[in-house]
Amino acid sequence: DDCLTQRMMSHPQLYIPGQLNLYFSKKAFFKCAIHSCYSSLVLFFIPYAALHDTLREDGKDAADYQSFALLTQTCLLFAVSIQLGLEMSYWTAVNTFFVLGSLAMYFVVTFTMYSNGMFLILPAAFPFIGTARNSLNQPNVWLTIILTSILCVLPVVTYRFLLIQLCPTINDKVRQARATPPPPPRRTRIRRTSSRRSGYAFSHTQGYGDLVTSGRFLRRPAVVSWSPGFPPVGRATSGFSPMGRSAGYSPTGRPQSSKVPDVEATSLQMYRAIKDPPL
Amino acid sequence: MMASSYNAKEEDGRNSNSSTHGGAAVAKSKKPDNTAFKQQRLPAWQPILTAGNVLPAFFVIGLIFIPIGIGLYVTSNNIREIEIDYTGSESGSPCNDCSTNFTWNTTTPCICTVNFTLNQPFEGNVYMYYGLSNFYQNHRRYVKSRDDSQLNGNIKSLKEPSKECEPYRTDPVTKKPIAPCGAIANSLFNDTLELFHNEPNGRTTAVPLAKRGIAWYTDRTVKFRNPVGDNLSEVFKDTEKPMNWMKPVYELDPSDPENNGFINEDFIVWMRTAALPTFRKLYRIIHKNSSSTLTLPSGSYTLKVAYNYPVSSFDGRKRMILSTISWMGGKNPFLGIAYITVGSICFFLGVVLLIIHHKYDSRNNSADIPN
Repeated sequence: DDCLTQRMMSHPQLYIPGQLNLYFSKKAFFKCAIHSCYSSLVLFFIPYAALHDTLREDGKDAADYQSFALLTQTCLLFAVSIQLGLEMSYWTAVNTFFVLGSLAMYFVVTFTMYSNGMFLILPAAFPFIGTARNSLNQPNVWLTIILTSILCVLPVVTYRFLLIQLCPTINDKVRQARATPPPPPRRTRIRRTSSRRSGYAFSHTQGYGDLVTSGRFLRRPAVVSWSPGFPPVGRATSGFSPMGRSAGYSPTGRPQSSKVPDVEATSLQMYRAIKDPPL
Repeated sequence: MMASSYNAKEEDGRNSNSSTHGGAAVAKSKKPDNTAFKQQRLPAWQPILTAGNVLPAFFVIGLIFIPIGIGLYVTSNNIREIEIDYTGSESGSPCNDCSTNFTWNTTTPCICTVNFTLNQPFEGNVYMYYGLSNFYQNHRRYVKSRDDSQLNGNIKSLKEPSKECEPYRTDPVTKKPIAPCGAIANSLFNDTLELFHNEPNGRTTAVPLAKRGIAWYTDRTVKFRNPVGDNLSEVFKDTEKPMNWMKPVYELDPSDPENNGFINEDFIVWMRTAALPTFRKLYRIIHKNSSSTLTLPSGSYTLKVAYNYPVSSFDGRKRMILSTISWMGGKNPFLGIAYITVGSICFFLGVVLLIIHHKYDSRNNSADIPN
């Protein structure tokens, strides 16, 4: 399903944002600073107001210094994880494991540091004993965490969605087109005659390094240009040779390319890059 | 939207191998393997902010948050709470004499009484708190001024408290170590509050106040332990009481050995420093009666205060709070209001974005992607 290479070839304008330095400018930094200020204010004042004069459900104190610290840092972790999830363009298994794993690690480390055992070993170093257990079993603590994380992330999602709707960049348009099934490629596209020998440009997603190094696109075209005496040998004119073998044969009858044929086609095969005269 | 990987596992190393055919050693290729993991071709999910994702999410969040907020707000409103400020800073208030005539070394405490009425009865367990204002228990130097090893019953720390406790580490006169050391312990709240119900028939009955079960379980059983020994006064004999205390630590509650010494629950509650300058700490619990349903019937009550704690020097205020408790804790309408607000904002944003999306979506569809 991934036709990333095809997509990059069909929309070369995707390289324009990089060339115009759209994403690492003062404007981008300023937007980041505004977002950070807003998040900081939310991350402090919502727990502050939620814990002001609050009590546990068994009547004991809930608004102590250690519970407040734990609540604020947990809100921060959740907000950061959700924000990270929004920034990640590709949720591979590895990425997902590490993001969710770091959240889980936070809880593991917190409960370990606030456990009885660590306190009894070094009382001065682990004074937060019992705080995690006593604080995180309160429903209003979890409600505060959910509220704070969603409130931190809400402006980001709104802003990005508005940008996509009102001023879509070429990236967004391509992605939106991807989200709906693309129209089938037109046949005429295959008869490209321009040389794309080194269409490799720097991009932040997977390139087509293996394509370049394998030299597959330098192969002879599938549809051979006729010369009398060489019947097309019943070959399809649809445009690519799945086995990678040269479609044409030299006068000696031996196959032209010495490449190993058992290679699956890359989708770039659909674009016949070079039209070499058969040697 | 799932991008799948294509497995072209060809062996690129073979080119270089064949080129050194006949050489002394076969050169090992340094190219990374053409696997999905090393060539970054793993299957991935790409989250894309389309209208189909974002708008339903906004509406769902709005529809979930608003009922939660309403539930929280209603629960908070049903909690009964009353606050009685007994600082006595204004002339004419009941405790004014005690607050203006405060001296440090008194053996007889100053008693003042405050009368108040409960308009509505309190049901279930009623919790009695003392509240302080403008008292910064979250000041950094104050928070560090304690010795957790000493409070855990460590004999070595009992004789030699940590340096963090300075200047409340050793007694300046006798040079003996202070137990418990530090500024937090030194400023222990020592007012005594008693509650009396003035019944309609003229009798005055004392409301029974329970002093156990007010501290956190982990604090009471793990964090605070008395040093090992049968007789507490023997154990603490080479130590001094903190300078502002009237009684030494082993006389905090002589009637109950489980509540004496470092494990005194009032002491433990005080040592758990508060986060904000206006705070309340649990003082006593009024357990619900099994016989009658009303723990505190409505009517006239009297609060009798043994005024020992000076707050006027830093413009602090003292108050007594009686409160019932629900599943969300005490009376705090903020969370309910915040949930209702955020839910409404989400819903409203969803509507606005839907309008924008409809208006501009047709424009986007007609604009072709330039090829």
